[in-house]
Amino acid sequence: MTALWGAMNTRARILLGVLVVMLLAAPLALDRYFLSVLTLILYFVYVGQAWNLMMGYAGQLSLGHALYVGVGGYVAAALWVHYGIGPWLGVVPAIAIAAAFGAAIGWLGFRFGIEGVYFALLTIAFAEFTRIGFDHIPFVGGAGGLFIPYEQDRIGEWWNLRGGQHLFYYLAFLLAAVGVLITALLSRARLGFQWLAIREDETAARALGIDVFRAKMKAVLISSGMTAVGGVFYAFYNNSLFPTQIFNISRSIELILAPIVGGIGTVFGPVVGAFVLTPLGEVLIALTEWLGIDLPGVKAVFYGLTLMIIITLVPTGVWPWIARRLDLVKNEP
Amino acid sequence: MTSKNRGGLSRRHLLGGAAAATALLATPSIVRAQPKVLKVGVALPRSGYLAAAGQACYRGAEIAPKVLADYGYAVELMHVDTESNVDIARNQAERVIAEGAQCIVGAFQSGATLAIAQVCEQRQVPLCINVAAAPQITEQGYKYLVRNFQTGGQLAANGLRLIKDVMAATNVEFKNAVFTYANDTFGTSQAKAIDKHFPAANLPFKIEESIAYDPRAQDLSVEVTKIRAINPDLVMVVTRASDAIKLIRDMVRQRFEPKAIISPGSPGLYDEEFYQALGPLADYSVINVPWVNPKAKMTEAVAAAFKPAFPKRRFAVEGFNVGFTFEAMLIAADGFKRAGTADGPELMKAIRATDLAEHVMIGGPIQFDDTGQNNNIGSAVLQNRDRTPTVVLPESAATMKPVLPMPPWKGRT
Repeated sequence: MTALWGAMNTRARILLGVLVVMLLAAPLALDRYFLSVLTLILYFVYVGQAWNLMMGYAGQLSLGHALYVGVGGYVAAALWVHYGIGPWLGVVPAIAIAAAFGAAIGWLGFRFGIEGVYFALLTIAFAEFTRIGFDHIPFVGGAGGLFIPYEQDRIGEWWNLRGGQHLFYYLAFLLAAVGVLITALLSRARLGFQWLAIREDETAARALGIDVFRAKMKAVLISSGMTAVGGVFYAFYNNSLFPTQIFNISRSIELILAPIVGGIGTVFGPVVGAFVLTPLGEVLIALTEWLGIDLPGVKAVFYGLTLMIIITLVPTGVWPWIARRLDLVKNEP
Repeated sequence: MTSKNRGGLSRRHLLGGAAAATALLATPSIVRAQPKVLKVGVALPRSGYLAAAGQACYRGAEIAPKVLADYGYAVELMHVDTESNVDIARNQAERVIAEGAQCIVGAFQSGATLAIAQVCEQRQVPLCINVAAAPQITEQGYKYLVRNFQTGGQLAANGLRLIKDVMAATNVEFKNAVFTYANDTFGTSQAKAIDKHFPAANLPFKIEESIAYDPRAQDLSVEVTKIRAINPDLVMVVTRASDAIKLIRDMVRQRFEPKAIISPGSPGLYDEEFYQALGPLADYSVINVPWVNPKAKMTEAVAAAFKPAFPKRRFAVEGFNVGFTFEAMLIAADGFKRAGTADGPELMKAIRATDLAEHVMIGGPIQFDDTGQNNNIGSAVLQNRDRTPTVVLPESAATMKPVLPMPPWKGRT
């Protein structure tokens, strides 16, 4: 952490401080709409960081991270709905079960040398068969979905995540901050350097004495566990879960876009990516409305085009480009 | 202006002027408190995987202001595309309310509807649900929503119950049936509802076998071969348009002709895509779903407004989505008219007290129970006739009589 702080120059520290203060004070100045957009941004910062650890640092491409969001959400929601176990407690088994799924995928993949796109296919396959499985589990509502009751008399029970926009905003802020801190810590830890070595050249890493299997398993376990916490947040924020939506591959793509656009393998890439992508969608909606364009799907076209332009112009991500241009980092974290 | 006039500015004049100014300043706020037009945020999945249905619902909303104006209601639409995405639905609901929407209509998809319901609850803005079948929506204790749509269970139960009416009206007996359904989320969930409600429907035949199929399969020849081997009188289906086309094509290829093909509560057999692909082979299939009452005066008004607004679309095919969305607009507008204000709590109170005898969908008056659910919505028996879903039951709404057994595939023109 100290190393990361040391890698930032004064300008970067001031900018980071201003951003944190602005985010903390946002509910005082912004209306509910902007807060809901910010909540979503911070959620994507967090889950983006979780994915970033696995892909950006350890070099293991997962296209099925929606699996962990779904499992985490379902476990905590089911415990709350059926047994009244609150999410602060429910998050523990949620992490454990999601990590068990991660362990199964990791073990299969790393033990049998399934790498690259084949490993990505394995992650998609797990997400897909879990979706089909949840479609047929009556305990969690099957295909009809699992609903967390919206009880008026429980509103305000922050310890049970029963509250309004402000509660979820600050919770998302906390998650995002913790996500950044975990990434910053791990990126400068021994494990982080092992991951980087594996990402760059697995054979060389093994030759250096790194236990590649163990290091990669740790990446999957940490990433899946972290993502599951995001799932718990998502479940209690939206109060409903449907297998077809939560485990969908589009969800997986959605949560990896921020780190890809922001810059994978960097601490602030997922942050910048989320702050670019989510508002971009909202701006495009407002822009098409302002231009009087009432064509459904036109936003998606503009969104795709903008993404293509960003990726073409800054293929390594927006954050490294900003950091270079503004001279924010002495040594890119 | 003379000096005399200036000198005549007395305390009385000042007080009078102040009173007049106060009255003038107060007037706009009174006018604002009692707007003449209700601003309705229409949240629908107009893009994404639910776009086709969302667009049909959109057409129902688009024609509403004109038709409702003739009935003395005034509404202004603020369209929102939820993009078939729960997160976007939530954000856009917040945005449209921030921009002045006083009521929300939507949102076709249960997950998106629930996300919007939370926003509406916290903002005290009424939500009139047009289409969303998850029963839990009205069982969660939300005070700021009403649903004018059948729950998934009601769709299946009514769909099954009407099979008996079809048998009575046509004097055709089914000795056995095969139930086949798409193994996707929608199909599986409907199949479970049908399994649950079948014993209570007390139908005089048994389901020999339930056959799930992959709706993305190239063809359904294997499934049809299995059905053909059982040779049931009735084939019950839960389909979407694309797999319904494959199912009928394979039945024709294998010359399998059951007495009836009935869909108890699902779309597919009445989509424009189905008619275009199959032509006359699409005819005589039966669908038991809620539908617009073709004999209702208000339906005629909606149909008349629909034709010039969307000349390439057929109201007769889009009755389900257009009808329910129009009715959600009607409920909001009627509540606003009775409340005389767009103030959330007052408007919601009026909407919950809705009692509309004249409306477009088949069924009793629109009324809501304590949970906000309208339980008076009926289902109709539709039969495809001349590539058009036609109401054949109940008799009070029917424009044709049901024809069963289905005529042979061969010789249809």
